[in-house]
Amino acid sequence: MKSVTTKARTRLPNETIGPGRRQFLKTAMKAGALLALPQVIPGSALGKAGSVAPSERIILGAIGIGGRGRYVLSCFLQDPDLHCVAVCDVRGDNRQRAKAMVDDRYGNQDCATYIDLREILARRDIDAVLIATGPNWHATASIMAARAGKDVYCEKPCTKNIAQSLALADVFRRTGRVFQAGTQRRSLPNFAYAVELAHSGRLGQLQTLHAHPGGLGTSMSGWLPTEPAPARDQADWDLYLGPAAWRPYNRRLLDGFNFEKGGGMTGGGCLEWGSHCVDLCQWANQADDTAPIEYEPVNGQLHARYANGVKLVMRNDGWLPLGSCPVRFEGTTGWVETGDDAEFGASSPDLLTRRGAKIPGYPADFHVRDFVDCVRTRAQTRANADCACWAHIACHAANIALYLNRKVTFDPKTCEFVGDEQANRLRSEALREPWRI
Amino acid sequence: MNVSKRYVTWFILLVVTAVSAMAIGQDQAAAEAKQRELLAVLQSNAPKAEKAIPCKQLAIYGTAEAVPTLMSLLADEELASWARIALEAIPGPAADEALREAMGTLQGRLLVGTINSIGVRRDARAVDGLVQKLNDADADVASAAAVALGHIGGDRAAAALTQALAKAPAAVRSAVAEGAILCAEGYMAQGKAAEAVKLYDAVRGADLPDQRHLEAIRGAILARGSGGIGLLTEQLRSDDKDRVGIGLRTARELPGRNVTEALVAEMDRLSPQKRSLLLLALSDRKDEAVRPAVLKAAQGGPNALRITAIGILIRLGDASCIPTLLQAATEGDVDLGRAAQETLVRLPGKDVDADLAARLPQARGKLRQVLIELASQREIQQSLPTIVSSMEDDDPAVRAAAVQAVGVLGRDRQHVAELTRLVQKTAASSERAAIEKALLAVTGRVGAPAVSYLMPLTKSSDRSLQITGLRTLAVVGGSEALDAVKAAIAGDEGDVQDEAVRILSTWPNRWPDDADAGEALLRLTRSGGKMSHQVLALRGYLQHIRGNKGLSNDQKLARIVELRPQIQRPEEERLAIAVLGEAPTAGALELLTTLAQDAAVAEEAYSAIVTVAAADVPGLSGPQRRRALQTVLDKSANNGTKRRAQEALKKVQ
Repeated sequence: MKSVTTKARTRLPNETIGPGRRQFLKTAMKAGALLALPQVIPGSALGKAGSVAPSERIILGAIGIGGRGRYVLSCFLQDPDLHCVAVCDVRGDNRQRAKAMVDDRYGNQDCATYIDLREILARRDIDAVLIATGPNWHATASIMAARAGKDVYCEKPCTKNIAQSLALADVFRRTGRVFQAGTQRRSLPNFAYAVELAHSGRLGQLQTLHAHPGGLGTSMSGWLPTEPAPARDQADWDLYLGPAAWRPYNRRLLDGFNFEKGGGMTGGGCLEWGSHCVDLCQWANQADDTAPIEYEPVNGQLHARYANGVKLVMRNDGWLPLGSCPVRFEGTTGWVETGDDAEFGASSPDLLTRRGAKIPGYPADFHVRDFVDCVRTRAQTRANADCACWAHIACHAANIALYLNRKVTFDPKTCEFVGDEQANRLRSEALREPWRI
Repeated sequence: MNVSKRYVTWFILLVVTAVSAMAIGQDQAAAEAKQRELLAVLQSNAPKAEKAIPCKQLAIYGTAEAVPTLMSLLADEELASWARIALEAIPGPAADEALREAMGTLQGRLLVGTINSIGVRRDARAVDGLVQKLNDADADVASAAAVALGHIGGDRAAAALTQALAKAPAAVRSAVAEGAILCAEGYMAQGKAAEAVKLYDAVRGADLPDQRHLEAIRGAILARGSGGIGLLTEQLRSDDKDRVGIGLRTARELPGRNVTEALVAEMDRLSPQKRSLLLLALSDRKDEAVRPAVLKAAQGGPNALRITAIGILIRLGDASCIPTLLQAATEGDVDLGRAAQETLVRLPGKDVDADLAARLPQARGKLRQVLIELASQREIQQSLPTIVSSMEDDDPAVRAAAVQAVGVLGRDRQHVAELTRLVQKTAASSERAAIEKALLAVTGRVGAPAVSYLMPLTKSSDRSLQITGLRTLAVVGGSEALDAVKAAIAGDEGDVQDEAVRILSTWPNRWPDDADAGEALLRLTRSGGKMSHQVLALRGYLQHIRGNKGLSNDQKLARIVELRPQIQRPEEERLAIAVLGEAPTAGALELLTTLAQDAAVAEEAYSAIVTVAAADVPGLSGPQRRRALQTVLDKSANNGTKRRAQEALKKVQ
């Protein structure tokens, strides 16, 4: 089958698509361009775009505001109908940087700072919170926030295990709170367009989905040598540990990414990247309310299968030249692939004539916008707690297969591994006292 | 199946069963051995650091045998949570008994953790103990007990929690309500809605934080089923935004056609803004009974509500909505028109295509423009003949839409002919630019058969048309097109010549006859009439070498060496480096080392050096490769390049 790519000089230099042809493709694609995203809700219907009184603004607090947190916070701060009043972090340097950022935005010194998330959650004036702590805290903090009556935008990976994934969905359903997982690729037109091709049948019957959660494998952070703990206002170690099992202070652990990614027994790229690219495959397969039923490590990859027969291949390295987080959807009559550079590969140029605007670099702005809209409408976000729950379950189940290094069979109805006690025991993990979900 | 075959089958099954049993036995023996090994660590004098991970691994390998050892750690502030990881996971009554026993001895945070684990394990035998803890003086302990009771559920827990709702101190009451709501959910799962309603109503009536009330309201509505409609509409009418919010969420959840109808009826009682919000909620119910209400809202009233309704029709609409949407698309309001057109683009169904196509021939003015744009966006091929004829419509907006649409839909040489004819009779430059854009797109699809229609443009007396001809020919490539470009370069019309040089410098490298472009570029690097032509040709030639699969690595190097005197600026040096980095030879490494002396391109050269030196290239010795990599390590300021050099150095013998 003839294939086409919109990526200039990626596969082989100066072949197949020369500059003139590239120009042609760009021209052809802009013609008839269509924003492949769900309905845009009019600002006036939501009382936004500067049309609301200050008393009607959404009041935001931000919890966990390191580098990633400050980036997402900057997306929130662009919204004139939202006002950030407080930031919270166990690290003093993060607190001060985030406060400076917020104060600079509003031209005052009003942004309050907190070390303990319970204090910011206790503020009745705060409607919504951004949670961008390390993954260790994501589910627990999100659930605490929902119970405190806050809507939540939470960075990914959102959960540490299958039980937390289910609890997250349950709590947000029970509380009626809005949840948006920080899987912002759900709000980017190139990924949405690829998914639309899968949904519309233009690829034929879906057969195989490819995700690229680089760094597949398990990780287990342990108990590093004790170092003198800093003063609480510099880093509150007890709060940093939060729901994770206790260990002494060591500065190497004071980094969300090095600390128990995914929960110790499991984790690694499967959650770090899978929460994005496996999530996109779930979406493409219209499987936001389920997960694959079989998972098997195969030659460094993880092969999974859905009940509808669609295969999911989680690749580890060396694959698509389309930027980070690439996905590929294959059907009986065609295929499409895309990644973070917002370019496409496809089995036919005809598949790409209606692609949307090219927005490379996986910005979070649109995803934040969707969250803010849903805070007002109370609708489900694009990456709501239910679909985040199932995408994370798929990643955790894959990780359990990788950890046990064998095939596991999963029943999405009971959320149990079939006849597999070892796998079932890895579905949850006790939280350190006094935390609970 | 005959007898012997049946015996064979049975024998195979027997062997498989025996092998499986042996494998299971081996697995079990391995797990038991692992457990003994882990317990030995926990029972030793090893430091705590060495005991943490074994606790965690007992979550997989632990049995009742591990429970006493794990239980002994529950009073250890540093290891208790590690021990509970295993205790929560180990199946069987031993772990339950251990946790219950610990509940009787621990205090403070450690007790809270133990109670939380009991809740996770849903140990029904712990209910009495937990009920007692509801009265604990420590609010955290009492709260944990309330939530654990909620997880376990049942009549005894429900009664205790209901009682506590009235008398528990304020610091505990919120958790008690949380437990009661969990209990109510347990009842709902068992089909005991009446019991659930009692609990939800008890929470609604208690003095609690707002959020607990909202959860109870939601539960009370859902548990009542259709009987909850009144409570639901009460929320929607409220002045409290949180009440309205929970109403909107619940409006999406409560099933039933009669619920849909009641909510539709409620629309007229609400403010326009609330109507927009309720309309969005209704649209999420996936109930066709909503469509008439949405269509009605799309037809008239406040614009914001109309736009919301029009957006919803993407999901709920069908061909019957087309007249309403076309009306909105052509009314003249920009926001309304945009929303209507977006919905018309995305409305699913072949019958929608057929309806829109049938309307086009009779349509005039704005409606014709919109229908053409829709045909383009929906790729309605059957509209193409009408669209082609519309390229000469009296209305400029219709003409523009038609040209753009032919660019999207056209895939026939006849469309190339039409566009070529049109561009020649069009005077306005903006319209010509649009036609050229369409021509480029259609030509790309038609390919070589388009050439005969394009060649006359290159011979036109109008230089602008000549340029259009050359540009479109470049899309096709091949010898005839290349000859036309070369002829234009040899000509004496400045702007045409400039464009021809630019086109040649980016000539595709796809067909065998495109290889001739390389020779033409090489000649131009030396004989170009203008310096800018020589520079463009040099850059194009370097790109050409890079992508030419017919050249060996040595031949590529030879071409670069030959051009070296002309490669003086950083821009060309970078292109040469890119060629050398992808064509690893000993000579390439040497030349890259020379190029690295230019500070402007040093980092690009270092990066390419790492690529070349990392490859096992004939004629390049280990010491040469190591020396080159070491030079990069010493001189590069780029951490990524240095890291690659370090990795490569480890592998070079």
